[in-house]
Amino acid sequence: MSRLDRWFELLSRQSARRVSRRHWLSRFGTALVGGATLPLLPVARAADKHVVGEDGVKGPEGDPTRCEYWRHCAIDGFLCSCCGGSHTACPPGTEMSPVTWIGTCRNPADGKDYIISYNDCCGKTFCGRCMCNRNEGERPLYHWYRNNDLNWCGGAKSQTYSCSTAIVVKAAKEPQPET
Amino acid sequence: MKVSLTAALILLAASTVAADSYEEHDYTLNCSGCHRMNGAGSSVVPSFDGMRDLAGKPGSREYWIRVPGAAQAPLTDERLAALMNWLLKRFTDEAPEPPYTASEVARLRREPLRDPVGERRRILTAPRR
Repeated sequence: MSRLDRWFELLSRQSARRVSRRHWLSRFGTALVGGATLPLLPVARAADKHVVGEDGVKGPEGDPTRCEYWRHCAIDGFLCSCCGGSHTACPPGTEMSPVTWIGTCRNPADGKDYIISYNDCCGKTFCGRCMCNRNEGERPLYHWYRNNDLNWCGGAKSQTYSCSTAIVVKAAKEPQPET
Repeated sequence: MKVSLTAALILLAASTVAADSYEEHDYTLNCSGCHRMNGAGSSVVPSFDGMRDLAGKPGSREYWIRVPGAAQAPLTDERLAALMNWLLKRFTDEAPEPPYTASEVARLRREPLRDPVGERRRILTAPRR
């Protein structure tokens, strides 16, 4: 027993001589804060699959403020989730246009295609944040029925474009054909 | 036993037909963006409710396939024929009689209308035969 005591005493004295109290406190603090922030890293969040989104559709949580988010595959505009709204709701003071660009995107979580409606929010000057122009499946202007370069605020009260949403309409029976 | 087996087979066949039909999918992907899910349209896009005014009038059957949105839709003749049969039943309460076929749709969509608004007016104001 006394040997164990002596060993601990030696260890404590050695560390007291070599390491300052502030040094130890700073290390301990780093470990404490570092451990708490670890789940906030994208690596930890990517591991968390099958989270149910705002509209009840399962999928990797992802980040709706990023252009790479799966529902943005056919979008062309500023993401409303960066502009005071969300990927399903307009920012305050804007109105959702009734006419909209529609496409399909594949959800990587279940490998299924979904019909996505990119309703524009109109009525305030353009948001200017998180520009995202993926437009997958879009065709040049001479294929007018597959061209997205329109002001979709044409059907709203105000024709001033602010930002775009990405709303899941329902599951698609097939991906949008490439023709 | 035989009756219930037949009924089960009929139900199975009916559900397979429903699962294989693309009308609602094609409507959502190709029409609803502008005409909206309920067909109401907007200040810049006509409402499908206006189809009732044309129903039964000479020339309307051809007009509905020759309008730009239908004639130039990125759908095969078969899928467009099925979609238009479904769409007319939904918005005029009467499916076209006889139903559109792929060959009829193929023939009509080759002649898209240059003036759809004018053609609509002409059908509506034409004297009764």
